[in-house]
Amino acid sequence: MTEVYRKVGRVIRYENGIVIAVSESGEAFEKDGVFQARPFVQKIAQTRALTPSAIAYVEQYVAQVRLSVRSGRIERFIASAGVATHEINGSNWSEESRRVHLSLVNRPLRALIDLASFDVEIIKAVADALARVGAEREVKRIRLAPNVSAALLPSLIGELAMEQSGGGFDGRGQRIETRAVTHDPPPNWYRPGYAVRPLRAWMNIRALPFGRIDHDAPIAIALLEPIHGTSLRVLCIDGDDVFPTTVDGSHIASVSRAEPVWYPYAAGSFGVEMML
Amino acid sequence: MTTFAIASRDELWLGGALVESRLMHGVATQRGDSIDASDARDDELVRACDLAIDAARAAVASFRDARVRIVVRATQNGEVETTMTIAVDGVSVVTTPPDALADYELLHRVRNGSAALRGAIVWQNGSAAVLLHEAFGHASEHDAAPVAWPSWLSIEAPLVSRRETFRDVPLLRMARLVARQTDAPFVMPDERIEVQLVAGGAYDPMSDMVTVEVAVSSAGPFTMRRSRAEVAASIAGASGEPIRYPGVICSREGQELYVASYAPLMITDGLL
Repeated sequence: MTEVYRKVGRVIRYENGIVIAVSESGEAFEKDGVFQARPFVQKIAQTRALTPSAIAYVEQYVAQVRLSVRSGRIERFIASAGVATHEINGSNWSEESRRVHLSLVNRPLRALIDLASFDVEIIKAVADALARVGAEREVKRIRLAPNVSAALLPSLIGELAMEQSGGGFDGRGQRIETRAVTHDPPPNWYRPGYAVRPLRAWMNIRALPFGRIDHDAPIAIALLEPIHGTSLRVLCIDGDDVFPTTVDGSHIASVSRAEPVWYPYAAGSFGVEMML
Repeated sequence: MTTFAIASRDELWLGGALVESRLMHGVATQRGDSIDASDARDDELVRACDLAIDAARAAVASFRDARVRIVVRATQNGEVETTMTIAVDGVSVVTTPPDALADYELLHRVRNGSAALRGAIVWQNGSAAVLLHEAFGHASEHDAAPVAWPSWLSIEAPLVSRRETFRDVPLLRMARLVARQTDAPFVMPDERIEVQLVAGGAYDPMSDMVTVEVAVSSAGPFTMRRSRAEVAASIAGASGEPIRYPGVICSREGQELYVASYAPLMITDGLL
């Protein structure tokens, strides 16, 4: 047996009307080429009770979102807040996480929102736009909002100048260092859960800024479908006009110099305004 | 207050060799709209998993060219469920230990053809169960408006509260789907595509569209996407008793659950 990875975690998750509090601890290792994962008994007992403040925190956010979106528009709503400690190869680290997944509908359209923060404004903006969406339009130039560009970025690895942002540890306890993202095998390992065999992945990728953003161009504010390759079906705003459109995201014309925001796509992706 | 306890063992075998092994256990207690869940261990459930996976492993050793995932789930109501997903050359079936050998042999028997993609579809091997799983079963889960099914067709797809793990929120899900025909018309069409195995399917409650991805057929792999009403209207005939289809692992809200699926030989017309 070589390296043993251990994780102790607790998460409060709201899922379509139910609040679930999950406490667990697990370990994973490779022995004779076999990846093994199992729960482990902690030396120090961890409280198993629901934490009222953590639950209230999640419930308060859920209530804020529900107030911001007309009832009947929410098809799926999952929000979670978690804490976890990790241990491997002598490295120990802990992290707090927030995740939001929301699908909003205005038949026949469905807007998808994935966030790593309890942000209400972006949800309100997408919900408002979706409520007044008009007919399909074609666009020649378009801006992608940070939440949309972050979803696209993993599809552009090796095609767009980007870097892995340094900081923190990967799934094998190695430090994540700032590196140019290339087609070469990534130096770091991504472990989305203790029971998942780690895979090499570029972590926390961000596009390098270049060119100029045309702030008068229409802006895509939400995905209307998961991204297929580099094809994006998006909800777009152009002045007072809101419309669905499909664009090819393979050619990026410019990347904003603004401060990027982290989103939970692939092994982490920083979003910033980009232009096609 | 309700309590749910589970243990599971999950193994991945490649070419007859074990490459991944997982143990999971936990308990979830629900009070109203709140669930408190932890990875507490019920030794009896873990022992039940160990016994069941030993039996499944015996079958795996001979599947030298396959990728096999065995999942054993034991829950506190005494239920022990063993499923095996067997893949050869990218085509897979989902089966149980008693049927594993026959389904492994089926994987080697079926072949994709190159016929033109037109005409009626003849759903072999119980594969119509996947079409009905999406068009009838999932639509029922979402309270979809009724559509007109043939009067000779009866579909049993009871919804029960199910969840994949102690971490999950229970949902009303299909436990099984059994389609039966009574005095159905059946004329084998001259121009037809014969479907042997299906790779996957989906139902979108918003658009009411049904998608089925065919893995093996006389026309090769293809994807069919039609409205639920079009699917119901396309069912033109059926013959014989329900046939066990080897494989439905159903994924909803990220929870993967096995659904036993049976359907007679069935003909649809107008889906291509």
